[in-house]
Amino acid sequence: MTFSEETLMAYADDELDAQTRSAVEAAMASDPEIARRVAKHKALRSKLRVAFDAVLDEPTPQRLVDTARGVPAVRREGNVIPLRRRNTTRKVWPQWTAIAASLALGIIIGQVVLSRGPGAGPITARNGLLLANGVLAHALTSQLASENAQNPVRIGVSFKARSGAYCRTFTLQASQALAGVACREQDDWHVQVLAQSAAVPQSKGNLVQAASEMPRLVMQAVDDTIAGDTLDAQAEAAARDKAWESGSHGTDATSPR
Amino acid sequence: MHASLEQLRERIVDLLPRLRRFARTLARNPHDADDLVQIAVERALSRSDQLRADASLSSWMFGILRNAWIDETRTRGRRNQVFAPEELGENVGDDSSSSHADVLSVQDALARLPDEQRIAVGLVLVEGLSYKEAAEIMGVPLGTLTSRLARGREALQGLLADTTGAQ
Repeated sequence: MTFSEETLMAYADDELDAQTRSAVEAAMASDPEIARRVAKHKALRSKLRVAFDAVLDEPTPQRLVDTARGVPAVRREGNVIPLRRRNTTRKVWPQWTAIAASLALGIIIGQVVLSRGPGAGPITARNGLLLANGVLAHALTSQLASENAQNPVRIGVSFKARSGAYCRTFTLQASQALAGVACREQDDWHVQVLAQSAAVPQSKGNLVQAASEMPRLVMQAVDDTIAGDTLDAQAEAAARDKAWESGSHGTDATSPR
Repeated sequence: MHASLEQLRERIVDLLPRLRRFARTLARNPHDADDLVQIAVERALSRSDQLRADASLSSWMFGILRNAWIDETRTRGRRNQVFAPEELGENVGDDSSSSHADVLSVQDALARLPDEQRIAVGLVLVEGLSYKEAAEIMGVPLGTLTSRLARGREALQGLLADTTGAQ
């Protein structure tokens, strides 16, 4: 008896009715060639399982759990929205990231950041990127961390990323307290990460930024991208005076991990 | 109604590991795969009224994930991008089966299959769904599913230079 390859595959996949299954088994017993073909299909099946089962053991990213549970994207300290995947060495999916980001960002950008009309808010979207705008852009360009008092934008640390670009962390008091990382690229500040930061209610119902508290995952984003150390006050001022010109542009083409 | 939405959310949370695994068979890059899962979960929740009471949640979710993938790849003309990346090109061997360095990883081999074959393989061989479930998710007749699966398997056997059988 001969069997089509599809029948033997179906046997390996346990998709045959009892009668055909018995027939295949009888043929396997008498014909090593058929047994070998079945074994090949089973081996491929288990090879695939082994290759992908490891995913089941990985911790599920919190953002997916939050999405399933309906936790708003910017709800709590430590929930970071990656606006651009860090380390853009892989250029395969630029639009993809923009789409994913725009889904998450719709929530805060719609409600908070862009609500004052195009061009007026502290963050603006252009070509799928989020760029600092208005007061935020101004602060990132000219404000030193030592000059934070009384300013709506507070600058955290400044550092050089592995891409060669200068980046700075900031907090911003919109209708929610936001914190993030922006990097200088081609005369714009690209907002890389944005998160709601811990804010504490004050009397009169105002929210103020909780002291120096940067969301943990904003700091983690810094750790992931920083080259060397954060800039000290002198280096920060020097970088500002050179308009955040990085000098060594995009020399880093190392692989993501 | 409210309670059932909450239940649905928790059942989706329970499914996340499998959704992530299936997504990994579609998108080679883990970040992209997780983005895909996120899109699928959002879509599922926004149309939870379409989930029939007697339907399998996992099949429904796999279907949404699969559709999300197809939507994204269509709008992007992915073929130009996915089949060209350096990481795949470098791994192409010269078919000298003696050299193990030339053997593709299972993930890379799968990434080279046409979408429909890869989806069939992912659903049946990785996720362990029945042919019937997989055909329903893909919206094709059973015979189409089995022939895609057969072609996908054949291609994988060739790419993986399988040594368990022939030679």
